[in-house]
Amino acid sequence: MNKFIRVNMTTMQVTTEAVPEKYIGLGGRALTSNFVNDEVKPTCHALGKNNKIIFAPGLLSGTTAPNSGRLSVGSKSPLTGTIKECNTGGLFSQKMAKMGIKALVIEGMPADDKFYIIKLDVNGVTIEESPSEILGGCGNYETIQILNEKYGSKVGMAITGPAGEYGLPSANISFKDPESNIRSAGRGGLGAVLGSKKVKAVIIDDTGAQPVPLVDPDKFRAASRVFAKALLDHPVAGQGLAAYGTDVLVNILNEAGGLPTNNFTEGRIDYNDLISGETMNATITERGGEGKVSHGCHPGCVIRCSQWYPDKKGKYITSGFEYETVWALGADAGIRDLDLIAYMDRAMDDVGVDSIEVSVAIATAMAGGLIPFGDGERALELIKEIAQPTPLARIIAGGCSIVGKLCGMFRVPVVKDQAIPAYDPRAVKGIGLTYATTTMGADHTAGYCISGNILKIGADLDPLKKDGQIEYARAMQIGTAAIDSTGMCLFVYFGIGDNPDGYQALIDMINAQYGLSLTATDVDKLGESVLKVERAFNKNAGFTNAHDRLPEFMEYEPVPPHNVVWDFTPEEIDEVYNF
Amino acid sequence: MTEKNKNTIEIRGFLQLDAFIKKNFGCMPLILELDKPISGIDLAKQLNISLDDVEVIFINGFVHDRGDLIHPGDRMAFLPPGCPGPYRIALGFYGKNQDNEANFKIKRDKDEE
Repeated sequence: MNKFIRVNMTTMQVTTEAVPEKYIGLGGRALTSNFVNDEVKPTCHALGKNNKIIFAPGLLSGTTAPNSGRLSVGSKSPLTGTIKECNTGGLFSQKMAKMGIKALVIEGMPADDKFYIIKLDVNGVTIEESPSEILGGCGNYETIQILNEKYGSKVGMAITGPAGEYGLPSANISFKDPESNIRSAGRGGLGAVLGSKKVKAVIIDDTGAQPVPLVDPDKFRAASRVFAKALLDHPVAGQGLAAYGTDVLVNILNEAGGLPTNNFTEGRIDYNDLISGETMNATITERGGEGKVSHGCHPGCVIRCSQWYPDKKGKYITSGFEYETVWALGADAGIRDLDLIAYMDRAMDDVGVDSIEVSVAIATAMAGGLIPFGDGERALELIKEIAQPTPLARIIAGGCSIVGKLCGMFRVPVVKDQAIPAYDPRAVKGIGLTYATTTMGADHTAGYCISGNILKIGADLDPLKKDGQIEYARAMQIGTAAIDSTGMCLFVYFGIGDNPDGYQALIDMINAQYGLSLTATDVDKLGESVLKVERAFNKNAGFTNAHDRLPEFMEYEPVPPHNVVWDFTPEEIDEVYNF
Repeated sequence: MTEKNKNTIEIRGFLQLDAFIKKNFGCMPLILELDKPISGIDLAKQLNISLDDVEVIFINGFVHDRGDLIHPGDRMAFLPPGCPGPYRIALGFYGKNQDNEANFKIKRDKDEE
């Protein structure tokens, strides 16, 4: 990958440069975060002309490495005010890599109010006015069909949905998946940033592109086989996720007493069977039709944690129906109907919002009296109204923090104004430390991968006690930052985290592709460096350790059934980033 | 548990054991009378649950080794291998699974079968 493309939306000029030397060895999150720290004014308004947005495939994207099709998108977040990297499946990353594009940067903003489409193909980059029929509330599903007809069904797409057009803080960037359904770079409002640049869509057509070059193809293939076997042999990656999806966590977190319920006032529900992954699996199987219990979000995915959830007649409703969405609407907002939650998931994809942020905002709005508690029909209407948007829909799409303030509430589950997902920090303390300290605002995927010697620590971890949790949260964030830089799905770590052969195979693939000799220690160092760069940006944007705190109510409201509170001191929390 | 059911236990199964219990016992949770403590391993055998399908057990919301004792009045659940995410460590599975060759994997123990 040797092209570094910049699209200036102020001048409508495109420049294609060689990759700057300092970015040559970086990919994915390592590249996006270094770039944002280098070029974005930390104190800028996220929706103003000084913010930039960058798309970058990972180091292994575009190769035949299993699960290597993730794309990182980086910018300053309009939701949190921090640096943001969010990543997604779909087709975009692999096409960028095959076309040799290391990064696509979009900067500036047009003087007029027109929306544009940026198209990348092997002949270069063009900018054209967006078709009017996909603007002003057109849903993403319809937009994809219109753009498929215009550009061909095999192109990749990144889309600013209606919420992004309106600049709403929960707006995501929607990506077309292999079946023209939707994947999302979900968190932090980057859809609003893309919308502020007046970019309705980025189209990528890799027709005529050559395969990604490999310095040592034989070594790469050998490592790739070991890596794929490690994934498929593992009961988590090879069986659990493929059968039940991430929603398998409903029953597990519920049993552990860590399923945030009724706006974070309880840790367990008694109707978990209505919304569990096991029930999702049984429902899809029973309904048949277009339903699939297992589905890959990008070509080359072997874990296949996604699914197609059908209606009672077997017609597709939604895919990528994740635990965090089901949890927020099912447990936190008390909506006891998996079909209704599926329609809400689809509606959120259609208007282009982060399904965690908006679902938690809905639960908060219910606790604040804006919507009757558990009223899924009204919540679904409000999500659809984001396409207009009505005033209340605009408030909901403003995110959980805004809803909490407008309702005069203190029980508002956010860190750095981003909604806390799916795992109650009081009952699962290690994840709480990650929520508090991650550079991204509360984000469970910021602490997903185990690095270094965490397995030794893990042997003694008790979710309700503090012992070992600081080291756990630190190691998980470092490991995650490294994996996010490879283009790998984070879920690969389930299969290689305890398997030295599998982990080495991942490093061997990178070495074989680029002719390097990286070690596991080097990969850990990469993760550390990414976090330090992100931390530096946030500091320059005005963030201090005082922002690395959970909502105060968690310190004095015990969460049943274990009746525990959040009891880390500020000094202990600050130790997480002492490396 | 309430006073009237202190001589019973509540049993749940997750992942494939959800369908297994519903199919074989017709309900979830399964309520079983128990007059003395029983280990998770013995309870699994009593219910014809394969030990390959039990990585850890929950007792009253806490993760336990599958050999730990369940007492009358307890709420318990069988968890097969397959829980995703860092939660295997965060929830303490790893610490309760030390007898296995690899802590993220279930080692078939022929002596237990």
